[in-house]
Amino acid sequence: MLVSILRQGDYLLASINAALDDSEMRRFQEALVERIGDERCRGVIIDVAALDVLDSYAAATLGSLADMARLRGAETVVVGVSPEIAFTMVQLGMSIPHVHTALDLEQGLQVLGRLTSPLPPPRP
Amino acid sequence: MSAARPVAPPAGAPAPAELLEIRTIVRRVIASRVRDSHMVDDLVQETLAKVLTAWGRIDPDTAIPYAIATARNVVASTWRHLDTTERNLHRVVDLLPADRPEDAVLDREEGDAVATALTHLPDRDRALLVAHDVEGRELAELARESSTSPGALAAQLKRTRARLRVEYLLAMDHREPPTPQCRPVLLALSGGDRRRQRELDVSGHLLACPYCADLGRPLSQRASDGTSTRIAVGADADVVLARQTGRDVAISLGFSATDGTVIATAISEVTRNIVKFAGTGEVRIGRLQEPARCGLLVVARDAGPGISDVDLALRDGHSTYGGLGLGLPGCRRLMDEFVVESESGRGTTVTMRKWRSTGGPGGR
Ligand SMILES: [Zn+2]
Repeated sequence: MLVSILRQGDYLLASINAALDDSEMRRFQEALVERIGDERCRGVIIDVAALDVLDSYAAATLGSLADMARLRGAETVVVGVSPEIAFTMVQLGMSIPHVHTALDLEQGLQVLGRLTSPLPPPRP
Repeated sequence: MSAARPVAPPAGAPAPAELLEIRTIVRRVIASRVRDSHMVDDLVQETLAKVLTAWGRIDPDTAIPYAIATARNVVASTWRHLDTTERNLHRVVDLLPADRPEDAVLDREEGDAVATALTHLPDRDRALLVAHDVEGRELAELARESSTSPGALAAQLKRTRARLRVEYLLAMDHREPPTPQCRPVLLALSGGDRRRQRELDVSGHLLACPYCADLGRPLSQRASDGTSTRIAVGADADVVLARQTGRDVAISLGFSATDGTVIATAISEVTRNIVKFAGTGEVRIGRLQEPARCGLLVVARDAGPGISDVDLALRDGHSTYGGLGLGLPGCRRLMDEFVVESESGRGTTVTMRKWRSTGGPGGR
């Protein structure tokens, strides 16, 4: 499987398991945004450790994915950016706008916990 | 499906490396046509099962074109099937019956294509091919009968197989070649005849003719002539093939993992531009050897509309599509040398060089 999307509590954990081309990346974006609405989740973690590159298109797609997720009430954290990809992105002068990053899944969950504080209890 | 049963590989089973290559190409062919990743996986498996089932019957030289044609058919029949049932493709994959009536039709279609291809061969060539590849007769014996040398027959056989590959692809495609140049170009490509390819300006033709670029891809998807590797570009999936080839070459030249990623990223950007703006083109990746240093050369070429204002395209933030506007300007920062030559209406050539820093293999 090129990508997998699993639900864990209030969050979705999405893993990219291989190099994706642009159509696959776009398809992943659509599928994930759809799942966010279907599952009414409040946070998304995207693990990009298996991506071979994070070029301008991949970064833009992750960025707009996070924007769409936010419009649907979910925060996005990208985890698993390798040192090689981090180096390349800095050299490119590129960042993923509006996207939080964390080292790994564990830290990603902590970041999401802070970002999505529990909803206030419904008023009587 | 019969292929789901564990079958002991016949004597002519593909070597692991060969299977890997076929698998990679099949995945590219399918991924360029199907967006849903689960469906891609399923169709790759289905195609490989068909190819392996047929392995004893296909000439190893035609295995890749055969696999590509099979992949296209598997995709086409799935689309036909899904088209009539549901528009929301990714949800209905699981509903596909395991054994479909189309399979028989497809097998017949392939058989017909081979038969048609055979009728296009000159009688002498067809007779040789049948005697050697089908009846299994030795070249030495055939040479004695026709009072010629086994070497001459081997050369004739090689030419005939190259021709059969082309005729097979033409028969599977059901379109007429748009120009009289197309068939000779595809033949030169299939036969790997470099002198003939130069005479015909095959690379020029492939850049200008979408038909040959499409049909020729299986014949030369990733052709290497010892000094450089050429990747035919015509779909999103080819961007991945190009950048992964670039990384492989970089690592084999002693570049560090980080440089491998840097180079792969730059190749990804320039190859994407070919797909976006020109539709088809090529990327060549080769090594640079100078007395004091060693490096990697990337040349990305297309015959598309060209860039009217190269300086503007190289300015940060300029973008004519949905990227971050960092594509080309970013490449300039990633590589040591970066030159864009473009002429409106005549296409674009991007030449990039990256030198390996001294200090031993893997050093930065
Ligand atoms: Zn042509």
